[in-house]
Parts: sequence; C-alpha cells; structure tokens
Amino acid sequence: MTCAEFQRVLPYIIDAGGDAGQEQHLRECAVCADLVADLRYIADQAKLLVPMEDPSPRVWEGLQKSLEREGLVKSAPARRSLLGLPLRDLGWVAAGAAVVVLLAGIFFTRNTTSADQPKTTVAMESPATGPANAEDQQILDTVAQLSPDVRDSYRQGLRDVNTYIQDAERSVKEDPNDQGARQLLMQAYQQKAMLYQMATRSGE
Amino acid sequence: MESWNRRAKLAVAVLVGFAAIVASAQTRKEMKFNVGPGASLTISNDFGPVTVHTMAGSQVLAVATLHSDQMEVDQTRSGSRVELFTHALQQRPTGDAARVEFDVTVPPDCNVTVHSSPGPIVIEKVRGDVTADGENANIDVRDVGNGHVHLRTLKGNVTIANVSNGHVEVTSVSGPVKMSDVSGPSVEVNTTNGKISYSGMFSNNGDYVLTTHSGDIEVLLPANASIDVSARSVNGKVENDFPFQPKQHNPFPVTSGRAFAGTSNSGSSGVQLRSFSGTIRVKKQ
Repeated sequence: MTCAEFQRVLPYIIDAGGDAGQEQHLRECAVCADLVADLRYIADQAKLLVPMEDPSPRVWEGLQKSLEREGLVKSAPARRSLLGLPLRDLGWVAAGAAVVVLLAGIFFTRNTTSADQPKTTVAMESPATGPANAEDQQILDTVAQLSPDVRDSYRQGLRDVNTYIQDAERSVKEDPNDQGARQLLMQAYQQKAMLYQMATRSGE
Repeated sequence: MESWNRRAKLAVAVLVGFAAIVASAQTRKEMKFNVGPGASLTISNDFGPVTVHTMAGSQVLAVATLHSDQMEVDQTRSGSRVELFTHALQQRPTGDAARVEFDVTVPPDCNVTVHSSPGPIVIEKVRGDVTADGENANIDVRDVGNGHVHLRTLKGNVTIANVSNGHVEVTSVSGPVKMSDVSGPSVEVNTTNGKISYSGMFSNNGDYVLTTHSGDIEVLLPANASIDVSARSVNGKVENDFPFQPKQHNPFPVTSGRAFAGTSNSGSSGVQLRSFSGTIRVKKQ
C-alpha cells in the first residue's frame, strides 16, 4: 500500500482503525504515522473545549462607555415606554388596531347597505307564483329587445311553468313511486325547455 | 240630383286613388325555386303571417308582401333546401311598415318549417314533416299526414284538423290546443294551463298522451272508438259519461272523481289523459 492510498481512506479509519494492510503501512511509514498522531491529538483537544458564557451586563455597559469616551459610538437615546410597552412596539399595536377598526367599519357598512337597498334586478314576482332563478333572468334578458307583448308572454310563461314544476316536484316528493307524478314532472321540465329554446332562437 | 251624382263619382275617384297610393307603398316579391323530392323549406318571419299550401309539381313558389321598403327578405338556396328570412334593413320600423306577409306553395312531399312570433301560421295539405312555432302565433295545421308534426307556442291558439298517420307533438304554455280527427302512431300534447280538446277516433293503433298542469282536457268520443284509456287528475276532477269496460289492472289507484280507466271495443289505441289540477271530461259523441 502506498501513502496516497492510505491517506485516501484515513478519514474513515482514524477512529475505528484500519484493516491489516492499512495497519501494517501505519507501522512501516513514519510520515503516515505522524499524520495520524497529529490528527488524533486535535480531535481529542476539540472534545475538551468548554462553551463560553455571556458576560454580565456591567461588562457591556463598561464597553459602551469606553467606546463613547473614545468617540467611536454616540450615546443611545433614552428609552421611552407607555403602558409598559416601548413606543416602537406601540406603533405596531396602533397600526393593528386601525386595521381592525377599518375592517369592522367595512363589515357593518356592507350589511347595512344591503339590507336597506331594494333589489332592482328581479323581474319576477314572489315564490307563490313560481320563483325565478338566474337562468330565468338570463332568458328574460335574452328576449329584452323583442316586442313588449312577446316579452310579457315569456315573463308570464316562466311564472306559470315554474309553478307547474313546483307542484310536480312536490307531488313526486310525496310519493316517489307514483309514475304519473313523475310523468307530470317530466312534462313540466319539457315546458321549461321549450321556453328556453324558443327564447334562444328569438334572441339570435 | 246631378250634384249628388257628381259628388258620388268624386268620392269613388278619391277612394280609388287613395287605395292606389296605399298599394304602391307595398312591394310584392316573388321567389321561385325548382326542387327535388323531399325538399325542405324554412321561413323565418317575425313580422307577419305565413300561409303554406301545396301544388303538384317540383317548385317552391313564395310570394312575400312587404309593407314598406324598410324590410327585406333574404333567400338562401342549397340544392333542394330553401331558406327565407325577413329582417329590417336598419332600425325596425313601427306599425304596419314592419309587416311582411308570406304566401307559399310547395310540393306535397316538402318538409316545412315556419317561425313566426306574431303569426298566424297556416299550413295545409303537406305530406312531409311540419314544424311551426311562434310565441304568440295562432297555428292552424290541417289535412297533413305521413310525417312529423311539431308545433310550439306560448299563448297562441293551436288548431289541428284531419291529420292521418302522423307523429304529432304539440307544446303550448297557455294557448289552447284543439284537435279534430287527429290520428297517428304517436300524438302527444303538453300544456301548462292551456285547454286541450280532442274529438275523433284515436285511431291508427297509436299512443295518445294529453297532459296539462292546470288546464282542462275535453275528449269527445264516438261510440265505435277502440281505445284503452286512463285518466287522472291529481288535484282536480275527472268526469266520464262514456260506457267504458272497467280494467282489471290499473297503473294507479282508481279514485272516484279523480281517476278512471277503461276499455272501449278492442282497445286498439292507448290514451292517457293527465292533469295536475285541471278537469278531465270524456264525453260520448
């Protein structure tokens, strides 16, 4: 074994020892033997190092004053506090409070506004005559440019058909096994589908 | 006396002149198309009536009467497929100026499709497929057969007469549907609150389904009709004065006054009458 080969594997065998050939080289080669001895000494000393403790505050104050006397640092401004909190911390508290107040204002304002303003976009009447949904409103918007009598036909037609669907759905719910009720429901949906198809064609 | 005669002649002359002025504002546009068997014609005219009848031959002849020069009729032709479309040249004129009337003659086997929002729509003697719809259009279809008949309206009156061997499908929201001598493999009528009236034999060994939400259904049956009928109104009532033979097995509970089922003669055709809250009446003719 050459010195180059031995030193290549040295990091792996320095603690646990090598095989027979590596130990024989260590016995026969003074250079590698001195190298191994130095490395083991450094490792042992490192294990003996003790962590340093922070110096007392008086040490830092003494250093501060010395640096100020030398003119190397300026004296730090006196700390001010309020309510036990430093002012720089209170700045963050104030900012956070402002954000909370702002969000609360937005929340209450929005709720008040939506409750007071009347709904202006609903074009159909109360649920008792068949409620409108977003799709129905789209249909009414589609036929908005047609003549007034045609628009009225769609509006009234949607009301009547929605009532039909409501009644039929209620009937099916009461007896899901009632084939006649299911038939009526399907017919009701076909009526609705017809309205949509005709409106789409007319709106083109 | 002479002065009266003179004044009468003067009045007539004024009237004739006025009529000439009015007529001159109208434009009559004739369109002819030579077509093959099974041709199809589509007319979209949301500005007035459309009338379609037939004549032997292989030509589609359409005459459009435009009441002003602010309207135009476009035509598209592809083989035996013809399309006619009415539109305003600029902003839609008001009143009579927007009116356009169609009178069309087609071969008997032509398939006809008509869209007219105001209507009326009249189609007669066509043996091909018939499709007609209009939100407020009265639709009148008669003497047709051997094809599909699809009619749709929101509140127009639908009248169907003398249809044989047809697949008939009618959908109306509030417009009444009146049928006489309508028969075929399949006849289906569906309204929300329009009244449905049927008089005839229900022949052809067909399936007839008449359904409404709150409209009434009225059926007038001759004594020799051969049908298997079931009638039911969920919240309304059912009245029958036809001597049906009761059925042993029914698709639903036969509650007196709300439902009945029975057979007449050999029960060749199936007839279903359904309403949610309307009244169903079956009468003997």
